[in-house]
Order: sequence, then C-alpha cells, then structure tokens
Amino acid sequence: MPQFKTAAVLGIAIILQLSLREAWPPLSYIDFPLIVVVYIALQREAWQALIVGTIAGLAIDAPSGGLLGAGGFSKTLTAYLIYFAATRINLENALLRIPILAAATLIDGAIYFFWQRSLGNPPSAPFVQTISYSLIGTTTVGTFAMYLLDSVLSEQVSLRRQFASRRRVARRGASSLKRR
Amino acid sequence: MASSRTQKEIRQRAPIWLVMLLFANLIVMAFDAQENFTKQNVFKGGVQALASPVQRATSWVSGTVGGFYRQLNNFGSTASENERLTRQLAVTELELRKAQEAVAENGRLRELLNLKEKTGYDQVAARVIARDGSVWFNTVTISCGSSSGIALNMPVVTPGGLVGRVIALSPWTAQVMLITDEKAAAGAIIGKLGESGALGSVRGLGNSGLVEMRYVSGLQKVSTGDYIMTTGQDGIYPPGLTVGEVVEVKPGTATQPHQIFIKPSARLDQLAEVAVLLYRPPQRPAPEHTLPNVDKTKVVRDK
Repeated sequence: MPQFKTAAVLGIAIILQLSLREAWPPLSYIDFPLIVVVYIALQREAWQALIVGTIAGLAIDAPSGGLLGAGGFSKTLTAYLIYFAATRINLENALLRIPILAAATLIDGAIYFFWQRSLGNPPSAPFVQTISYSLIGTTTVGTFAMYLLDSVLSEQVSLRRQFASRRRVARRGASSLKRR
Repeated sequence: MASSRTQKEIRQRAPIWLVMLLFANLIVMAFDAQENFTKQNVFKGGVQALASPVQRATSWVSGTVGGFYRQLNNFGSTASENERLTRQLAVTELELRKAQEAVAENGRLRELLNLKEKTGYDQVAARVIARDGSVWFNTVTISCGSSSGIALNMPVVTPGGLVGRVIALSPWTAQVMLITDEKAAAGAIIGKLGESGALGSVRGLGNSGLVEMRYVSGLQKVSTGDYIMTTGQDGIYPPGLTVGEVVEVKPGTATQPHQIFIKPSARLDQLAEVAVLLYRPPQRPAPEHTLPNVDKTKVVRDK
C-alpha cells in the first residue's frame, strides 16, 4: 500500500512538472519530482528512493530535448547521497529540510548539466541563472510540499513520532526510578 | 531483530543498487548521445512512443485543471449572487467559453489550412501535447509522428511564422526544437529574397525568447520593425518563411557586422496547433574529392 501511495504521489509530481510550464513558464523552475525523491530519501527508504529517482528522471527526460538518462542519473545519485546523509546524521528536524532541498537541487542540476555538456548536448539555458531560479523555486515550494507529503505518506513519520514520545516517557521513567 | 537485520541488509545492498541504476542510466545516455550524433533517434523515438499516451493524458489533465481554475475564478467574482444565478452563470459561461474556444480553434485551424496555399508545401497539422519538462532545453512534443509522413529536420510553422524543426520522431509523436533554442539556426535575410542583400543566419538565444541574427554586413541598412525571412540556403527550411521582426539593432561598421535581435513572429510561448511542412530540401551535389592537394599526397606516397 505505501508503494502505491508513493507511485501516485510521484505520478502527480511528474504530471505537474510536465503541465505547469504550459500554464506559466517560470513554474518549470520548481522540480516537483526532485521534491518527492528528496522526501523519500529522507525517510531512509533506500530502495524506494533510488527507484523513484530513476523513474522520475527518465520520465522528465523522455519529452525533453536533453539526453535520455541524464535526469535519471542525477536524481538517482542525489537520492542516494541524501539517503546516505540521513542514515548517518539525524535529519528529522523540519527546518533541516530547507538546506537539504537546496543542496539536492544544486547537486541534481550540476550532475545533469555535467552529463549533457560532456556528451555533446549542452543545454540552451545558462547554468548559473537556471540553477539559481531552480534553487529558489524548488526550496520554497518543496518546504511546504513536504508538509503535504507528511500527511499523505506519513505512516512511518507518525510511527517514529509515537516511538519518540514513548522513548521520552521511558527515559523520564528510568531517571525518576534512579532518583528513588 | 528480524527487521533490524533487514534494515542492515538494505543499507549494505543500497550501494549495489545505486551502481546498477547509475550504470543503466549511463548506458541509456550513451545510446541517446550516439543517436544524437548519428541522427537516427530510434531509441528516443521508442521511448517517446511509449510515453505519448501519458503525455496526451497530461495535456488533457492540464487543460482540464486550467479550465477548473478559470471556473473557480468565475465563481469568486460572482460570489455575491445567489446560488441559482451563480450556477446558471457558470453553466452559461462554460458553454460560452467552449463556444469561444471552438471558434478560436476553428480560426487557427483555418489559418493552418491556408498555410498550404501560402507556402506551397504539403503539411500535417498537429497539436502541441507537451513542453520540455526540464528547464534546460526549448523543445515541444507534437501529436503527429512518422506515421503521418513526418521526417527528421522537417520545418514546423504556424500562421505567424517559423517555429522550429523536428529533431526526434516516434510513430505517433515528434519532438520539435524551437527556433529560440541555442542550438537552433537558420539562413535568413532581412526583407524579401532577391530585393535585399542583408543575408545572415539566425540563432536562438535560449530562454530570453529572442533570436539573434549574425553576419549581416555593417554596411547594410537595418532598422527595428524590419521583417526577417528564411533563405532556404541552410538545407533545412524552405525560402520565404517569416522568422520574426527586428526589435533591436547594435549597428556594425564597415569591418564589423550588425548585431540584430529578433522577436519570433510565431507565438512560441502559446503554441497550441502547429503545421509540419512536408518539405524535403533539394539534394546538393557531393563535393568533388579529387582536390589538387589530395593528388599531391598521392604523388608523394607513390614516390
């Protein structure tokens, strides 16, 4: 069931990414699939994060003028790097999502640009300007979108919160016993 | 215990999955890059054929969602009215909008049909079903492909003017590189072919939405508002297609060409229907290989 939810959320993100540019071109600077990839990687779901990264990247690459696979590569690697950081550092704090999203946008954009350029298909958009707009758009929208994702894909989050509160209660209990 | 072991296993296997997925993406990229080089586009065409139903669905969803939001706005403006009147108004507006859209679409399609008379080439009318999902490129996907007779490099136009050319194909869709893309270029002239000597080439300027015309002699008279047409000398576009209008000129000198900025006459930010001209450029004779210097090397080798 969680996999279906993840697939549905990813599908919506891809549809938004492909259709919002028609409504208002600057909206394309918001990388919705990347927000979903970062969210799943932060949940420490390695397998899901990697697969979602690959699928999201390839889905955006298919109708794009860029090389097929460049987006898949960059999003998969970004997903792993965030998963790797999340398993070693405590990134549960909601405020930490802002720098993580910003870093993910930078890494994803830089890897994508690198592959396009090195395989002879340089993007038409200027690197610094595009990545700056993308950073602002994705980080701003992503911070709020992650709260929305919390409510949709929140089984694990709520479980963790429950355990955290139980642990706190247990710790207090143990310390009070010691005092006695 | 079992779950922690699973977590440990997952953590241990994650790098292997990562390497496998990255390798798979790399292979796909290498294939695509090679196809870009050989201009075959079989692989990307296949993927686009698979993705086309999704793109059509996406296009439909975006249209419907846009309509829904427009309806919401209309409801907001008539909030003070009573419920019955609001409903009636919404229904009437919806019908009116549909009728207006139908009339507008009819007009656009009529203009596309008239294009055949204007240009003299057979054409295939198509809808724009997707725009580039990434911010890095300027391409659109249209609803007709090789099964409709479209081939690579065929010019794409609207009644307004030149849009771009076909760069990838599947049986049911085609990918079009817009003239504003930095990699797009065309041979062009200011004014009419045969009447003006201001020849040059136009090239996209990326996301600015403008096109730059280069190599026009600084001695030629150019002013804002002049029209730019294709010359047909690039071997892709037929002569006489409108590219756009000059919006800015940085004057050159006797030894330096003008720097000319052009606004494309086709409304590239609001593309809905386009026409692909079934134009095949005339074959050029192959260059002669027996050049004098080649003969010289032969002579040296023989010695």
